[in-house]
Amino acid sequence: MLGTSYTIREKILPGCVTSSVTVAKNQQMESAVLERSAPARSMNDQDYWMVRYQQADPEAPGALINALSPALLRFFRSQSGSREQADDLLQETWMRIHRVRHTYRPGEPVLPWVYAIARRVRVDGYRKTRRVTAHETAMEVLPEAPQIVERRSSPFDFETLIAALPEAQREVIVMLKVGGLTLEEAARATSSTVGAVKQKAHRAYEKLRTILECRAKDAAGGEL
Amino acid sequence: MNCRDLERIMIEGDMGATSVFPPEAEEHLLTCLRCKEIVGALRMPSGEETGMSPALTRLASGLAADISPTRPMAPAGFYLTAFLGIFASIVSFGVFREGTRALSAMSLLQILSILGALGACAFLLASSLVAQMAPGSLHRFRPEYLPATVVVTLSVVAGALFQFGDATRFWVRGWGCLRMGFPFALLAAGPFWVVLRRGAILSPRAAGAAAGLLAGLAGTSVLEIHCPNLDLSHILVWHVGVSVLGSLCGLGAGVVAESLASSSVELRGLKS
Repeated sequence: MLGTSYTIREKILPGCVTSSVTVAKNQQMESAVLERSAPARSMNDQDYWMVRYQQADPEAPGALINALSPALLRFFRSQSGSREQADDLLQETWMRIHRVRHTYRPGEPVLPWVYAIARRVRVDGYRKTRRVTAHETAMEVLPEAPQIVERRSSPFDFETLIAALPEAQREVIVMLKVGGLTLEEAARATSSTVGAVKQKAHRAYEKLRTILECRAKDAAGGEL
Repeated sequence: MNCRDLERIMIEGDMGATSVFPPEAEEHLLTCLRCKEIVGALRMPSGEETGMSPALTRLASGLAADISPTRPMAPAGFYLTAFLGIFASIVSFGVFREGTRALSAMSLLQILSILGALGACAFLLASSLVAQMAPGSLHRFRPEYLPATVVVTLSVVAGALFQFGDATRFWVRGWGCLRMGFPFALLAAGPFWVVLRRGAILSPRAAGAAAGLLAGLAGTSVLEIHCPNLDLSHILVWHVGVSVLGSLCGLGAGVVAESLASSSVELRGLKS
C-alpha cells in the first residue's frame, strides 16, 4: 500500500502541471491515496503538502501552517522573547512563504527551506525593531519602554536555558531540538556547512553544561 | 558510553523533541547526573502550543483564497548553465570586439593558469548564486565570504604568474583598461539580474556582491585576453579592479534592494 501511494505521488509530483484540469485530477487521485494511506505518511507530509501548495490545493496552506507553526513560533520566541513579536514574525514568514513558494523544488526537504525564510524574516524583524528603537531614543521624550520579559516556569526550562547562549548557537540548538532538523538541514537553513553547525552545537552543549552546573551549585548553596 | 558519546548522539542523531535514546544512552543517563540534567532541560514539553491560533486560521484562509498554481523553479543545473552561458557570451563578445593581443604576449602556462582561475572562480560564483536563489540550498562555501575569497585567489594566482615590471603611464593605461572592462561587466549584470529575479534571494547583499563580482569577472576576462600589459601592479589594480568594482556595485545594489524590501514590509504592516 505504501509503495503504491508513493509511486503514484512520485508520478504526480515531478510534473507540477499548472493546468487546472490536471490539478483537479491529481487532487482526486491524491485524495484517494490519502484516504488509504494516511497512517503510513510521516515526515514526508510536509514535502507532499508543499507540492500541493504549488499546485494550488486550498487545503495545503492550512495543513502546512498547522504542522509547522508551533515549532516556528518557538524558534521566534527563543530569539525575540516577546510572544507578540514572535506572532508577527510567524505571520510575516507565512506571507513570505506564500510569495516565494515557487522556489521550493519538489523532492528537496521542506524544513530547511522554511527555516531559511523564517531566519531571514527574523533578521528583517530585528532590523526593523532596531530602527524603530533608534528613532524612539532620538526623540528623548518618551520614557524607556519596559522590556517584555515573559515569566519562566523554572530556571532549568528550555527557553530560560538557551536564552543564555549566543544567538548563533541558540539558533542551531532550536533548529535541532525544536524544529527537528538534521545537521545537514540546519546547515542548509543557515547557509552554512555541516561542520560549522556541528561545532556550534558542541559549543552550545558545553556552555549549557556549565550553566547547569552553576545553577545546580547555586541551588545547593541556597538550600544550605 | 560516556558524556561525549551522548552529546554526539544528541547532536548528530535525529534527536528531535520526542525522540528516544538508544539503550546504551539510556543506561548512561541513569548513572550520569550532568547528562540527565541537560537532556531533561532540552526535552521539549510535548503537546504545548499545538493547534492554530485564530490569527493563523485567518491567515490560512486568506492564503487559500489567494492561491494560484505556480511552476516550481527549474533544476539548479538550468540556472548554472544560464549564468555560465551569459558569462561566456559576454566574454566572447568582448574578445571578438577588442581582440586577443594578450594571448601572444603570455606564455602557454600563463594563459592556461589565468583563464583557468577565472573560469573556476566564475563557476564557484555561479554555483553560489544558484544556491542563493532557492532558500535552504546546500552551500559549499559561505556566500558572505565567497566574493572576498575569489578576489584574494585571483590576486594570488596573478601574483604567482606575473611580475612587477614597466609601470610607466600606470594611471593612463589603467584608466583605459578600466573604461574598456567595466562596460562588459555592466553588460553582464543585466542578464544576471533577470535570472536572479526568478529565485527568492534572502540576502540581497551577499547575492549582489556575488553577482556583481561575476559580472566584473566577465570584464576582467576580456581584459586578460586583450591587454598585453603583463605588469603585475597593472593587472592587480586595473584588471582585478574591474571585478572588485563590479562586486562593490552589486553590494550597493543589494543594500538598496534590502532597504526597499524592508520599507515595503513596514508599509504592509501599517496597512494590515
